[in-house]
Amino acid sequence: MTRVIEYEHLKEKIYTRQIEPGLNAFVLPKKGYNKKYAIYAANFGSIDSRFIVEGEGEELSVPDGVAHFLEHKLFEDESGNVFDRFAVLGASSNAFTNFTNTAYLFSTTDNFYECLEILLDFVQEPYFTTESVEKEKGIIEQEIWMYEDNPQWRIFFNLLGALYQYHPVKIDIAGTVESIRRIDKDVLYKCYRTFYHPSNMAVFVVGDVDAGRVLDQIEANIAKRNYQPLGEIKRLFPEEPEEIARDYVEQSLVVSQPILNLGFKEHDVGYDGKALFKREIATSLMLDVVFGSSSPLYNELYEEGLIDDEFDAGYVAEIGYGHTIVGGETLDPEKLADRLIEGIQRRQREGIDADTFEHYRHKMMGEFLKSFNSLEYIANNFPAYHFRKINFFDYLQVLQEVTVEDVNRRLVEHLDLKRMARSVIMPKAGKR
Amino acid sequence: MATVLHRRLQNGISVFIHPTEKFKTILVQLFFHRQLRQEDVTQSALLPAVLQRGTVRYPSRRQLVLHLEKLYGAELTADIVKKGECQLVVYTLDLVHDQYLPGENRLLRDGLQILHELLTNPVLENGAFKEEYVRQEKEQHEKVIKGLINDKIAYAIERCLQEMCRDEPFSVFKYGTLEKLREIDAASLYGFYRSFLRESPAELHLIGDLDPERTFALVQDIFRFARGTGAELPPTQVHIPVEGVRYVTEELDVNQGKLVLGFRTGLTYANADYFALLLYNGILGGFPHSKLFQNVREKASLAYYAYSRLEKHKGLMLISSGIEFKNYEKTLDIIRKQVADMAAGNFSKEDFDNTYSGLRNQFLLEEDNPAALINRTVDGMLAGKVRTTADLLNKLRSVTRDDVVRIAGQVKLDTVYFMTRRGARK
Repeated sequence: MTRVIEYEHLKEKIYTRQIEPGLNAFVLPKKGYNKKYAIYAANFGSIDSRFIVEGEGEELSVPDGVAHFLEHKLFEDESGNVFDRFAVLGASSNAFTNFTNTAYLFSTTDNFYECLEILLDFVQEPYFTTESVEKEKGIIEQEIWMYEDNPQWRIFFNLLGALYQYHPVKIDIAGTVESIRRIDKDVLYKCYRTFYHPSNMAVFVVGDVDAGRVLDQIEANIAKRNYQPLGEIKRLFPEEPEEIARDYVEQSLVVSQPILNLGFKEHDVGYDGKALFKREIATSLMLDVVFGSSSPLYNELYEEGLIDDEFDAGYVAEIGYGHTIVGGETLDPEKLADRLIEGIQRRQREGIDADTFEHYRHKMMGEFLKSFNSLEYIANNFPAYHFRKINFFDYLQVLQEVTVEDVNRRLVEHLDLKRMARSVIMPKAGKR
Repeated sequence: MATVLHRRLQNGISVFIHPTEKFKTILVQLFFHRQLRQEDVTQSALLPAVLQRGTVRYPSRRQLVLHLEKLYGAELTADIVKKGECQLVVYTLDLVHDQYLPGENRLLRDGLQILHELLTNPVLENGAFKEEYVRQEKEQHEKVIKGLINDKIAYAIERCLQEMCRDEPFSVFKYGTLEKLREIDAASLYGFYRSFLRESPAELHLIGDLDPERTFALVQDIFRFARGTGAELPPTQVHIPVEGVRYVTEELDVNQGKLVLGFRTGLTYANADYFALLLYNGILGGFPHSKLFQNVREKASLAYYAYSRLEKHKGLMLISSGIEFKNYEKTLDIIRKQVADMAAGNFSKEDFDNTYSGLRNQFLLEEDNPAALINRTVDGMLAGKVRTTADLLNKLRSVTRDDVVRIAGQVKLDTVYFMTRRGARK
């Protein structure tokens, strides 16, 4: 049965249906747009490397990088490359893997329903051979080396390695050159059968389309495949202590100046749904007050030449982990870290007043509305929030429910210096 | 989409109003056109940063940002863009449309007023920019110039272009040089600013759910500052003969080699054959179905990325790929083979048709993106012809296989750049 959810403030409507055996499908019609965009996402990311399916066999432990590897390989079918099938229709296709999800997508202006069928088919029809799996290793190896030379990527993973003692979020999404060598077609099929079951997936479609027809088409495609219900997937994560692994990590790379990132580890995790969404919004608002480009701290640091206008702070709220990362390029990472800590402590003493809170709430409301110009932005975010039991479109509503007390509480409990780590990239000495 | 209103203000600024009901925002972009030349490119690149430090009404950067944030998180940013041998200083103001905000109706007026204030009413001391602001922004700008190396892919492309166009204005880095930066002070930059504002050809674009006449009247009411008649910019040098291929290798302490090939196409957005070139580039390396992706990545597993792209105002094409150091010769051979196959007409009807559909899709998608629509108009103005989506699609449709083979013959490899590691086996 189709449900229609109306968002009066946004002037948008979402059509949704739960399709047997458990696939959630969503359509956001957008009149007047040429672009039609569909995304088919699996609740399976780089952190899901140990799991067990209820009622089936034993616990599985797979090499790091398998979700990403699987994403690469699903783009191949018996006849060759899936890209070509979209290309013939004038569509462009792509995919991405992050810590928690894998997503396949296409965008097109014509032949939408044919493209949707290809998307549904290729994601549900894996075709892995020993030869094609081996061939992919060279490509992914070059992807890994490319990131090894990317200072932003390196500082990020170095920081995660300092914040987390055991949690797999500290491991690169693509795995390592060594771990991907251990991946074979059997491992890919095992992961595929578990995580690509419809009950662990979601479809989101946006554009000038007929919602009923889209939902019917998805339902028909799933129905013909005779899926059996799947037991609950239990994802097994090592017990992660509240404490960080180490408080400092440094690497040298070919860069023009040092980079500093401070990380704050969330210690009270395990939430989903509205509680998690509210925490995410309250924390983001708090970070904007403390570190945003209109904050006193930002402007002092900018005038002193300790930061540039790329300086940024962001919060990640997943079910099993969460952290804030603050930082940017700087001539003096040690001094910047000291000044940031001082700034945090000063703000914690002074607190955030109601006017300041309202100012930033107002700003976040505008920013959310602006993001709605981008159909990709909506489509890429929606399933990821859905897997955390959050409806992304409730943002404005939840933003209204956040209080100044929530934000002040997050300021104290989250920006806890006991759970802070520093990651630094230094320029390589001598020749460039 | 309804027709674009294009009209000049009395002070010579060209105004373009693109009315459309699609978006929840109004996007405003103001472009100043500058000749790309070593003498003053550093000053134009530094100027927006200094202006953003404060105005008479909002005397600090923070006050300016706070005021913008009050307009529901409005953002006012400045960028430096290079199109051919033209440097564009671009101001972007991104606003939520009033209709999504109960009780609001002045957002556009307020936003435009801030933009105008920022441009025309900077904080001054002793008849020049504030010393402190200029000093601090020079330090920031020094970091921007030096920071190119931090993105190895972008760095390799810039280096290839610098080597290839070393005797042409195109080799000028859009952010300028450290030498020129050192010479700038508060007084000289202020003098430059006065002529910049007076003389640079300027275009103001607005896109969103707008009534063209009323919006034009609003713009006219706000942007009244006096300007002179700017000199026309010299055209970009396009036809440069290629005398043999130049090979440049640079050693850096990196993990992956970066291979960049620079070609001269002799064709720009202004040429009738530009659309054949689009198909040529698309078949060769513009898509995942293209020759480069298929042969360098999918068949030979040599790279994660391998693509080609055009510089549409200078008549250049670049091929870029990240590879193992030791695979330099092997990759170069495969790329050369693909380019030779294009010239020999070795591409299938399917290659041609898929590329045509992909390009058609891209043109249609631009209609959903406010910044892309403005960019298309700016490109059109630079090339002397603004094209609608229907024009673009017609031109694309008229390209034949023979056209692609014909123009393939004039695409000439000029420079091969390779970033490697000292001591690595090539």
